[in-house]
Amino acid sequence: MRRGGEGDGTCQYPTGHASCHGDVPVIGPLATGLIVLALLIMLSGIVTAVRNRPMGTVILVALGVLEVGLLVQAGFAVAGVIGGEGAGETATLIGYLAGTLLIPPAAAFLGLAERSRWGPAVIAVGAFAVCVMVGRLLQIWHGTA
Amino acid sequence: MSEPAIGSGPGRALLAVYGVFALAAGARAAVQIATRFEEAPLAYALSAFASVVYVVLTVALARGNRRLALVACGIELAGVLIVGTLSMADPAAFPHATVWSGYGSGYVFIPLVLPVIGLYWLLRRK
Repeated sequence: MRRGGEGDGTCQYPTGHASCHGDVPVIGPLATGLIVLALLIMLSGIVTAVRNRPMGTVILVALGVLEVGLLVQAGFAVAGVIGGEGAGETATLIGYLAGTLLIPPAAAFLGLAERSRWGPAVIAVGAFAVCVMVGRLLQIWHGTA
Repeated sequence: MSEPAIGSGPGRALLAVYGVFALAAGARAAVQIATRFEEAPLAYALSAFASVVYVVLTVALARGNRRLALVACGIELAGVLIVGTLSMADPAAFPHATVWSGYGSGYVFIPLVLPVIGLYWLLRRK
């Protein structure tokens, strides 16, 4: 994992710029994993909706795993910010972290309440939102937004 | 309930989309206004207004308030058309993007399509 820092020549900013204090090593792979998981949940939501079934346990468990992963990511990111890492924009970063945490429980609640094909459709919407938000989170973290 | 609920079936999926937009636009506006309101007061005030419209729509769908949802959907459509046109005609007035600038191009035009789908859904079931 690349660690952008002073003197390694990979930094486009002057030494000491916030953008160059690099990555908490875990953020990149974890975020990628979370995006893949959210995409899988979105796909299974779409497939379930197309097959005209209500959402089942598998999607619910996957949403739980996603939420745990998002919590872990938020923990690492907050620790990183406190440790002076991440590329500025702290308020935006916190906003995205908090926002992503809200979506899986809300989607599960709505999706379970709707016992038709539109339940898994709700899950697909939520999972897509998580994909986009984790992607943006990565950009903000690396200062490439 | 004599009328079918507007917040179930496909309406529930619509509610989810509006919820996501309420969250996204609201959080974005809050951050913009809290950290750099003086840079682009108009754009950020519009961001906040848009997020309020999305919140109202989410609540109206969840509570089955058809009239409120219709009004909010109309305001949403008018907003995205007016702000979209203004942002194209006078980009200098909108140096910072809002949900509705460029007809929602920053959000793959979902803000433009959403009120049309919303109005269709609300009026079709009446």
